[in-house]
Amino acid sequence: MRSDASSAARARSRVTTVTLYVLLVAASIPFLYPTLWMFFSSFKPANEIFLQPPTLLPKEWTLDGIAQVFTAQPFLRQYGNSMYIAVVVTVASILLSAMAGYAFARIRFPLRNAVFTLMLAAMMVPTEVTIIPIFTAVKAMGLTNTHWPLIILPIFGPTAVVSVFIFRQHFLSFPKEYEEAARLDGVTRAGVFFRIALPLATPAIAAVGIMAFLRSFNMYFEALIFLRTPENFTLGLAITRYQDFYGEQMWNTQLGAASLTVVPILVVFLIAQKQFVQGLAQTGLKG
Amino acid sequence: MRATRSRRAAIALTGVLALCLSACGGGDTGESGPADLKMALWSSNKDHLALLKKVGDAYVAEHRDEVASITFEPVTNPDYIAGLTTQIAGGDVPDLAWIPEASGPEFVDAGVLHDVGSTLKGADGYDLDDILPAALAPWQDEKGGVYAYPFSNSPFALYVNEDLLKAAGQPDVAALVGTPDYTWKTIADIAAATNSKTKAVGLNVPTFNPTNWSAVTMLGSAWGAAPWSEDGSTCAFTSPEMIDYLTWYQKQMSRGAIPAISGKAEPAAFASGDVAFSVAQLSQSGSLDSSFTWSFLPLPAGPKGYHPIVGQAGVSVLERGGHKEQAAAFLAHLTNPTNAELLAQFFPPPRKSLLNVKTLSQAAPKLSPEAIQSAIIDVVPEASVKPQHPVLSQFSDKVRAGLDSVWSGGDVKAAVTGICEQISPTLKG
Amino acid sequence: MTAHTSAANDRRVVPKPRPRPDRGRWLGVAFVAPQVLGVIILGVVPFLFVIWYSFNEWRPLTGEREFTGLDNYSRLFADPTFSASVVASLLFSVGVLVLNLVIAISLAVLLNRRMRGITAFRTIFFSPVVVSVVAWSVTWGFLLAPDGGINGALQLLGIDGTSWLADSSTALLSLVVVQVFKGVGMNMVLFLAALQSVPEEIREAAQLDGASPWRSFWSITVPMIAPTILLTGILTTIGSLEVFAPVQLLTDGGPGNATNVLPFFLYRTAFVSQQFGYASAIGVVLFAIILALTMLQWTTRRKWVHDEV
Repeated sequence: MRSDASSAARARSRVTTVTLYVLLVAASIPFLYPTLWMFFSSFKPANEIFLQPPTLLPKEWTLDGIAQVFTAQPFLRQYGNSMYIAVVVTVASILLSAMAGYAFARIRFPLRNAVFTLMLAAMMVPTEVTIIPIFTAVKAMGLTNTHWPLIILPIFGPTAVVSVFIFRQHFLSFPKEYEEAARLDGVTRAGVFFRIALPLATPAIAAVGIMAFLRSFNMYFEALIFLRTPENFTLGLAITRYQDFYGEQMWNTQLGAASLTVVPILVVFLIAQKQFVQGLAQTGLKG
Repeated sequence: MRATRSRRAAIALTGVLALCLSACGGGDTGESGPADLKMALWSSNKDHLALLKKVGDAYVAEHRDEVASITFEPVTNPDYIAGLTTQIAGGDVPDLAWIPEASGPEFVDAGVLHDVGSTLKGADGYDLDDILPAALAPWQDEKGGVYAYPFSNSPFALYVNEDLLKAAGQPDVAALVGTPDYTWKTIADIAAATNSKTKAVGLNVPTFNPTNWSAVTMLGSAWGAAPWSEDGSTCAFTSPEMIDYLTWYQKQMSRGAIPAISGKAEPAAFASGDVAFSVAQLSQSGSLDSSFTWSFLPLPAGPKGYHPIVGQAGVSVLERGGHKEQAAAFLAHLTNPTNAELLAQFFPPPRKSLLNVKTLSQAAPKLSPEAIQSAIIDVVPEASVKPQHPVLSQFSDKVRAGLDSVWSGGDVKAAVTGICEQISPTLKG
Repeated sequence: MTAHTSAANDRRVVPKPRPRPDRGRWLGVAFVAPQVLGVIILGVVPFLFVIWYSFNEWRPLTGEREFTGLDNYSRLFADPTFSASVVASLLFSVGVLVLNLVIAISLAVLLNRRMRGITAFRTIFFSPVVVSVVAWSVTWGFLLAPDGGINGALQLLGIDGTSWLADSSTALLSLVVVQVFKGVGMNMVLFLAALQSVPEEIREAAQLDGASPWRSFWSITVPMIAPTILLTGILTTIGSLEVFAPVQLLTDGGPGNATNVLPFFLYRTAFVSQQFGYASAIGVVLFAIILALTMLQWTTRRKWVHDEV
């Protein structure tokens, strides 16, 4: 059928292709431009940020803004804070939500469906709603201005339910034969999970890992509530605190700090974007 | 193979957890023995902190049996009061804290602040009477309690970019000071003319954003406008004076004398050289260099004459801080005449004895003696602070929401009527 | 992916005897325990506390708490700031939901073909998802400023822009745009995956029958991706009702109360106005709204989603 397409049809399809590219390029602007602008503006002198007419590239390149990222705040330490918190949260989230997701999908136990429904319902409680009792509890334990709430909440709190859900959907389609064969070989139920089901769950692990990492690395509200001293800040909070000694915003420095938090993640994403996107696409979330 | 992989994962996990345990374990506070004092402050300026630390360390060296250490912790929340109250509510109560004047009554009312009156009075060579009555008043109650020392008593003034005015062909404003022509009206006219000729910002209040609305309403005192009655029980946004003032302000915005506001984006800084006039405090002079000629003038007069305003930060001892006595004793040391003079290089002192050109030249070495005399020494003794209210935080957001329509050119009368409807129940308490 | 499917098919071909009820039930309990207890301790119990707090007046600065019954609620329903806040939240949520799903599905359809450079475009559309919400919001704050990039671009087209974030008619819309471009890539990827599971033959058959692409999209594609629409719809709704950072960083709830969405109003009430009890009442209402909107989407699913999720 395709082989005897007339040249008119081929021309039409070329027009369609060109239109499509134009459309896609136009659609890219709001997605790409802000990040590019943020990146290039961090090399502008502060007074060029609002220059009229606005430009993407600096007229005068300077590292002054970026240099102050590190002197105005303990930025490297803050980077380390965000990084280690995100890694702990990611590793623990993968492990715990995989266990829970597996059990919800494959193991019968009392009240399984009721408990799962409760989990889904809890997903609807935003952190903002429960922040007051959690704040008072954290206070009672003397853990304000520590990283504990920023680690414990995302791992165990209601936001983790999505991860459990993803693993549950994944394990629902995990072939029973693998499990049964292993059990005939005398592998325990837990062994089946840790040695067979979990290692084979790469797409779900990727999806949950990526989402947990991004959520933790970008955490803002909890950090705003619980953290107080710059040494303990995570990056999201740090970016908002670039003011000079007179309370004036250090615009180019702020954008420089923002770029430094974004660019490494973007580079990792660009390198691994195929696995990244496929991992997310293959979650149960597609329905 | 699988086994080794999971073992490796387990090792990694343990390592990560151990890392976390070591990194996020909080330090514990010893209750007995000499106290470790903490002071929360707004400034994170390295020079400020270094000077305070110097005073603190010297004090610790002399009082080892009472105080083991003194740390100065900036509260970096852009909303300082939200940061501090959250910290206090979170049980992490500093021993001393820097409290902006607007929140003073609220803190006193909540019983958060410790009465340091007797400690200050009793301290050797302290001379409480040396402190300007107008400066101390916001921190006193009827019973004679003193809840803070007015640590920084910094007058608002008008910064003028003379180069810019000259370029725009405008008259020399400094020459107007002391004449009947030195009024907001004149300044606004010049600002508007400069704006239309040079595209530069006319008149700027750099600390103003919608949340910090009082940075604008305070200037209304030159119109006789106050946001609420003296006793705080009645809303006065609907007073003819306030309506006059806000209408004037709005008109200046619409004709370009005062820049329009945009969300939280701030207008250009005076230091950039693109601003003709800026209403700011003394400390701002530190950020200026000689890249353009500028002068520092007292605030102009409004329809109701001159009304100098100071921005204050008190330093208080917190009731729940745990080391009240040691903290109060340190406050008395930190703010005695000798140290107040030392601190004057950053924080304008509230002491009569220090209100002289010599001391204040340290505070603002870039200012001329004349500027110090006319814009500080002459105005500070009678200057008032921004309007205060004991439940300000409960209705501040409502005022913010109501005033937004004024800033964007809406009907002033409707806006202030709405504000009074919204906040009156709270004011009456 | 294919390995799983074929194995799953095999299962149906070779029926196995039902395994005996195993002793693994305790393992199941142990496996779910950390997360379930976590959700109970960090979600359910705190929420019960919030309900209790909402019947109290509580000033954290003094630590005084007093039972006041339904006072907070009667105050809340009489508070014009609260009604403005509910309106802002609902408008924001509907705006984000509609715009997000329309853009996500459109992009997914555009990208669902073999073409040179399609991966690059997919990467571009997805990239804001990995950008932190603070960096993203801060950047948009500059772009939306009166003398920022967006007005600069409009000026080139001869259009006079406005002060997007200070104008009450555009502030909420601006926030919707910021939120949508930040997160739409995630939904796009999910829709792309869903589209790729729509068998090519069905669409080709429809085309042979002379159905226009537009018609075949509505009559074939949409029903097939309906479960994804439902799920992303629910997650997007919940996410948009929880929005906080862009509001705090860009508008502070203003101008007026145009962008004073419920989570932000709650935060200001609790941590700036220092009224924990009143803020708790706001929290209870926020949860009720999320619950109602989720139930609404869930219960109407039978009308338009044929496949169970």
